[in-house]
Amino acid sequence: MSQISKLGYVDNKLGAPSSGQQTTRILFNTIEAPGTTSGLVFFKTFQGLTNGQTNLTQNKLDSMESMVIKTIWLAQFETGGTLRTFGANISQTLSVLVGNQQVVKNLPIQFNQGTTGQTYDRLHDNGAFAIFSGAATPEFQQAQPIEIRLLTDIVIPPQVSFEVRVDSNAGVYGAGAVVCALSGYGKIFSAGNTF
Amino acid sequence: MALSAQDKILYVANKLGLSTLNQMQGSTGAVYDTDIENSGQLFTSASRHRNPYLTNLTQNEFEVNEALLVETISFFVNNTEDDGGVSNFQRTYGSNAVLVFDLLIGNKRVMKSTPVFGAGSPYTFATTGQLNVGADDVIYIPRHQVFLEGAGILIPPQVQFSVEYRIFDVVTGAVLPFTEFDAIGCYLFGTRVLLNFNTSI
Repeated sequence: MSQISKLGYVDNKLGAPSSGQQTTRILFNTIEAPGTTSGLVFFKTFQGLTNGQTNLTQNKLDSMESMVIKTIWLAQFETGGTLRTFGANISQTLSVLVGNQQVVKNLPIQFNQGTTGQTYDRLHDNGAFAIFSGAATPEFQQAQPIEIRLLTDIVIPPQVSFEVRVDSNAGVYGAGAVVCALSGYGKIFSAGNTF
Repeated sequence: MALSAQDKILYVANKLGLSTLNQMQGSTGAVYDTDIENSGQLFTSASRHRNPYLTNLTQNEFEVNEALLVETISFFVNNTEDDGGVSNFQRTYGSNAVLVFDLLIGNKRVMKSTPVFGAGSPYTFATTGQLNVGADDVIYIPRHQVFLEGAGILIPPQVQFSVEYRIFDVVTGAVLPFTEFDAIGCYLFGTRVLLNFNTSI
């Protein structure tokens, strides 16, 4: 079933509006200065974040909007902006909750990041090693974000809260920021024809 | 069965009453523009830009019976100081930069607040590039593209389109200033419909 069909099917089951502009949505949320913690929760706190740190104001989509989660993306930055491996390569699991339902459960994520991992699918870049004798900087990137392409399309219906949790044993996420993005096909409010 | 690009074009054309679009030449194409004014808008000033150095458009709309189904959106930096050409967004603005953009067609916002991360966007089904910066030094050169899910978005004939964007530091949330000679550029790539008269003129 394609993403379009899946979204239409679920929206129909829930009685959600099926009209709207078809588009590609990428939702993202930032946690500032996460430090060392065993649990990160993305899409929970929006207070104090600018439009460059999140593109939502609450942890749910608007009444006429819905989307399919197809790709999960995670990145960790130092305060100066240098990209680091997420959680310093330690074992971490990721869960996605939509409403009261856990739709992705304890998915290990450490395999899907450069420079060490080997991605689940055969289509993404592998954990190739970036060789650079100097120190990494924002302009000389030596790591890669985590990215996981889901095999099953997960729907976020309109006005249903959702969150992404990352669990670890005292993961070191530093004093900069960690970012989570959810990418996929979606619908946004449209008052007329859709393109 | 997934919707094909051609199906999507004809579906939208039918909705808009474009009855002759199915007789036109199907093709592959891309349009691009560079924001040398640092206005945060792309394609709106394409008519004033050098062609093809900064753009391949003469106006920000397609002529009659021409269209583009946008399937990939990409951002790059165009070095305008010494005609240096296209360079990588991350290499200029850094891994912590995030470009947040809207795609507008006519009066409608068809993509809203979409992030493109300097560190490498969700770059579905693509491998990353690498750059040799010294004898044995190789670093990552991330992609800054959005591959549209589903079946893309159609820019119909004779309807103005544009991209509005801003660049932030994702760590601090601050708006990043434009660098003087590094203008942001954008291309829209996808299935193209070209005017075909089907007769001699």
